[in-house]
Amino acid sequence: MRTIVTVFRKELIDILRDRRTIMFMIVLPLLLFPLLFRVMFSVERSQADKARSKKLRVACLSDGNAARFVAMLGDRGDVEIVTGLSRDQATALVRADSLDGLFVVAPDFDDAVAEMKPGRIDFYFKSTDDRTIVQDRLRETIDSFEREILDERFVRLEMDPSIVDAVALEDHNVASMEERVGKSVGGMLPYMFIIFCFVGAMYPAIDLGAGEKERGTMETLLTAPVNRFHILLGKFGVVVLSGLVSATVSIIGLYIAIRASSEIPPEFMNIIVKILGWKTILLVLSLLLPLTVFLAGILLSISFTARSFREAQSLITPLNIAIIVPAAIGLIPGVEMSYATALVPVLNVSLATREIIAGTMRPDYLAVVYLSLITLAFVSLFVSAQWFRRESTIFRS
Amino acid sequence: MIEVRDVFKTFKLSRQQKREMGSGFQGDSVDAVAGLTFTCQPGRVFSLVGANGAGKTTTLRMIATMLRPTAGTIAVNHHDTVREPERVRASLGFLTGSTQLYDRLTASELVRYVADLHGVPRDQFARRRDEIFGALDMGGFADRRIGKLSTGMKQKVSIARTLIHDPGVLVLDEATAALDVVASRAIVDLIRRARDNGKTVLFSTHRLSEVNLLSDDLALIHRGQLLFNGTYQEFSSQMQAPTLEDEFIRRVEAAGV
Repeated sequence: MRTIVTVFRKELIDILRDRRTIMFMIVLPLLLFPLLFRVMFSVERSQADKARSKKLRVACLSDGNAARFVAMLGDRGDVEIVTGLSRDQATALVRADSLDGLFVVAPDFDDAVAEMKPGRIDFYFKSTDDRTIVQDRLRETIDSFEREILDERFVRLEMDPSIVDAVALEDHNVASMEERVGKSVGGMLPYMFIIFCFVGAMYPAIDLGAGEKERGTMETLLTAPVNRFHILLGKFGVVVLSGLVSATVSIIGLYIAIRASSEIPPEFMNIIVKILGWKTILLVLSLLLPLTVFLAGILLSISFTARSFREAQSLITPLNIAIIVPAAIGLIPGVEMSYATALVPVLNVSLATREIIAGTMRPDYLAVVYLSLITLAFVSLFVSAQWFRRESTIFRS
Repeated sequence: MIEVRDVFKTFKLSRQQKREMGSGFQGDSVDAVAGLTFTCQPGRVFSLVGANGAGKTTTLRMIATMLRPTAGTIAVNHHDTVREPERVRASLGFLTGSTQLYDRLTASELVRYVADLHGVPRDQFARRRDEIFGALDMGGFADRRIGKLSTGMKQKVSIARTLIHDPGVLVLDEATAALDVVASRAIVDLIRRARDNGKTVLFSTHRLSEVNLLSDDLALIHRGQLLFNGTYQEFSSQMQAPTLEDEFIRRVEAAGV
């Protein structure tokens, strides 16, 4: 135990003095979410403001039909009607973003409306996310125009407008807000935690294995009268701690980002704060612990095999994909926790975190997840211990 | 005392290594050490001499328990390197020219770390550290990070960490190889002091001037095989060439290995 603590303490001091490790372990996960939120919200707000306040350029090809609709459009102070265009020209301008919309009124529109049939109007627009507001603004006029026609029809037919509502359907979703938010946001959170956990553990693992070999400091350790497995455990402890710190710091970063954001509605904010409670965080960290041990074993084994820091980096980079893919599969709708998915490392943490946040985690599934992760953690530790004992690994050059 | 008895070390080659050996090479392995036998006595300096690739580092790594002999036995202070590796390492101070230091630690922190790994009690550590730091004049830079130190200062830190647990046996592998004359002097002084204190000293080198300066006993190896084993006096009395270098080359050529 003395050796493990000695190696752990020394390696911790060593990596905490390495700027690169601090950057990936603490600074990046702490700042990423606040920066991401800030940039995301400010870009979204500025785009939305622009879409709301801009004067809309619209063409309306009606051939004298739907005169009232054309007049309604013209009466709007925020719409400029562009005239003198053919249908093809106007469509091309919409496609080129020079026109915000094109209305083409069917030649028989007035006749159809007079006969109480639907009159056709084609609405051309180019849809991207920020243009939804523009479409909504133009649809307002169409909706008003349609309401006027309908009101006239109800008066003419002496009918109550409510007659068109045959079924008064009232939705009652019994899922709590926590469950709904948990299932949606909860899918994204573990993805981020797992990635940070991996990235946070990656640099210390490379530094304590390949880095030590490359710097030529390994002999100091190998000539000490201590068990090599204890040396490995000391190093392991630092790599695992780094991964967990990184994941925890990312949670703190996310919490700060949410609390500092004025864009999130208060009721939604309350739910998120409730979700990110200590109990949930501790439960998620208890899943991340064996996962990090598992990852640390793989990372250290690769790191000991590599001849240099750079070689270790190039060997570990493909492993990123092996982490990202199962974590991302957990985001796919329909992929749910089961006995099978509970056995798959990374994916099981991703799904379990989602269920924990939603408050719907089944204890039997949770037990399988723990069993799977702890078994893999021990296997990974065993393999890296064997690897660390091999002469051909340690003295590979 | 170090006792090396009929030791072999064979390395299996990877495909890439076999390619690097050239088309003339046959087989799947190389014998880095082939049947070495010698003894290093306490209070004497034993030089292991050979060209690059002769098998010196492999031999010293086996003595320091970093590598296991393929055949044969090695004992340090009567402890077998395979059966009792931790006891061997406890009595051993190992210093090489290629071993680097932890740049992000201070000199004091590094020496303390090595002392902790060797289980040196706190009171003994403080006394030993003060003694060694004083003897090597390290007070001025003991609390500076090693990465900021000069080569000479680093060498002193290396010596301090090698001696902090007061080892009975010193193994030095090309310890002066990358050092200038002034920095090498610290190593030469270390070897002399250790011998005067009754410690066993084994050092490998390809600098024959150091052999002349320090050796009581000598082993000459080439391609893993022993070409000479005896006292320095015996070696010099049997010399047929005018200089050590010439005699070394003559023996290698005569052996035809």
